[in-house]
Amino acid sequence: MKTYWDIIGDGGSRVLEQVTAQRARIADGLSGVRHLVAVGSGKGGVGKSTLTLQLAHALRARGLRIAILDADFNGPSQARMAGVQGALFVPGRDRVSLPRTANGIGVFSIGSLIPESAALDFESAARGESHTWRATREFALLAEILASFEWGALDLLLFDLPPGAERTVQYADFLGPRTSFLLVTIPSEVSRGVVARSVAALSKGSHRVLGYVENMSGYYCRDCDAIKPLFASAASSDLGVPCLGTVPFDPQLARDCDLGMPPGALQGRPAGRVLNAIAQRLLDGLESTELHS
Amino acid sequence: MKFLCVPCDKPMTLQTVGPSDRGSLSVVYACPECGYEMAMLTNAYETQVVQSLGVRIGPSTNDAGEFAGQPEASTKGGCPFSAMVATTPSANERERVGGAGGAQPPTVRWTQEAEARLARVPEFVRPMARTGIERFARERGASEIDEQMLDAAREFFGM
Repeated sequence: MKTYWDIIGDGGSRVLEQVTAQRARIADGLSGVRHLVAVGSGKGGVGKSTLTLQLAHALRARGLRIAILDADFNGPSQARMAGVQGALFVPGRDRVSLPRTANGIGVFSIGSLIPESAALDFESAARGESHTWRATREFALLAEILASFEWGALDLLLFDLPPGAERTVQYADFLGPRTSFLLVTIPSEVSRGVVARSVAALSKGSHRVLGYVENMSGYYCRDCDAIKPLFASAASSDLGVPCLGTVPFDPQLARDCDLGMPPGALQGRPAGRVLNAIAQRLLDGLESTELHS
Repeated sequence: MKFLCVPCDKPMTLQTVGPSDRGSLSVVYACPECGYEMAMLTNAYETQVVQSLGVRIGPSTNDAGEFAGQPEASTKGGCPFSAMVATTPSANERERVGGAGGAQPPTVRWTQEAEARLARVPEFVRPMARTGIERFARERGASEIDEQMLDAAREFFGM
């Protein structure tokens, strides 16, 4: 009797064919992207999205072609922060054009489609059992976005990942070996502990971790023009990957993000200077990856 | 999943996929050798597993919602969350279409070619894409959206 592997095709269900075709379309759509970088953490609330956008601006200011895919479908914040909440989606000849910020950063965020007062929901044949299928559906949505939008020629495509160490690994598996990871923590042992787990999980899967950024590392006091401590104790546990920089919390920046951060908002401020240095280290890390691959 | 006709040792081929009934699909396979037919009746969990992959079971329909290399919407067809997008427009969107009790905006016609391009937009983006482009056209005094209008929108927004 024949086995599964003796039979070519799937008898007409076309399920595998469709998945394969979509993967090919994604690979084609991303063929013009030089570097894929996922910004994750494992821990929530550490400023992944803010840092992703700030880095995008810092890289854009160097003349690089940048886009952001807000992969945090359940808590999308890039639409508001990048000022593309009311974005126009224009069908191109083959794919959909990517909404852009004033300085030309392409941004896809579910937040451009769904108002903040609504939660992302999917039609389901198994209503009330979403724990059995929801993650699969979200990755299918990510695949559809990657396949349908016009990424074009980019120097960097930044993925703003959702929180959760297990989600970070799932995204790593989905995005594949082309993607490098940048992790974000804050100066607390709790956060570093979670990020350490993400580093361990990513390393197990041979995913490339460029390093980590310590966010909210003190705060910038405009009155004193100095960085003051924000957390009581300075954390020191080793994460096993390079630290690309420490970014002070800047109240003005937090306000800018709520309002839709204009390009160059951080210019001349301590956080802006640090972010420029981090952007350079990120590029150095990516170049070194290229040299070694 | 594949089906094998054991007496003939031949792979069975898909014949029909019935519409979803309370989350269950009826998928009929037949043996090309002896003609024996069997139906796979899925439960809601099984249907959802396939639906979650973003694929449709069965032969290509070549309808307006499909385009080369793009998985069809789902076993159920239609947008996974278009209902939410369509029924809960953002404040910006409400403002664009005139708001509650506002005057009905003038009708804008889409050419066949422009419609074909719109059909390539994922279903969860399509309602918003349509509304936005129509507003763009109306603001320019146009009553028809053609491919030139779409290209003009791309250029205008620096895409």
